[in-house]
Amino acid sequence: MAQKVQKLVAKVPTLLGAAVTYSKPRLATFWYYARVELVPPSPAEISKAVEAAKGLIRSYQTGRLGQTTVKDAVRNGLVTTEVLMWFFIGECIGKGGLIGYNV
Amino acid sequence: MTGSLCLSRSIMAPPVAVSPLIKTARWSALLIGMLYGKQRFDHLKPIAEEERRVEEAEKKLREEQERIYKQLSEASSDTILK
Repeated sequence: MAQKVQKLVAKVPTLLGAAVTYSKPRLATFWYYARVELVPPSPAEISKAVEAAKGLIRSYQTGRLGQTTVKDAVRNGLVTTEVLMWFFIGECIGKGGLIGYNV
Repeated sequence: MTGSLCLSRSIMAPPVAVSPLIKTARWSALLIGMLYGKQRFDHLKPIAEEERRVEEAEKKLREEQERIYKQLSEASSDTILK
């Protein structure tokens, strides 16, 4: 029994090394995209975002939103859903758990 | 997954320049979610503790009553089949 535990413990560095070799290129790909796409907005971008939001409201008021194609509407719907999902991820972080509140 | 086996940057699409509106919306949604989760947790925690306390007291009471009932039933049952 003790020998088996020893053998397992001796294998741990090789397993860790294999895990690192496996994940390095994938982490590199992730970082390659995340560095451009997932960064939080800089203050200049925040002001641009406010203006874009105002433009959205204006286009809704002038009725131009009714002219979006179905393809565009579906795409915008998917993007909105993704943005809303970030809220739930934030809630999981805030409550300190994945499923339910551990009160 | 096969794309990551032959990992050459020439076949991967370049990263997209995400619109600032989407970026702000995402990260503010994350922030609001974190605040909401923390607030809700702080709201629910004392309620759960109160419920646990009440449950403990009621359980003790119930067990006490069961003990008394058992003692009474044992004392009043006189049979030779003990």
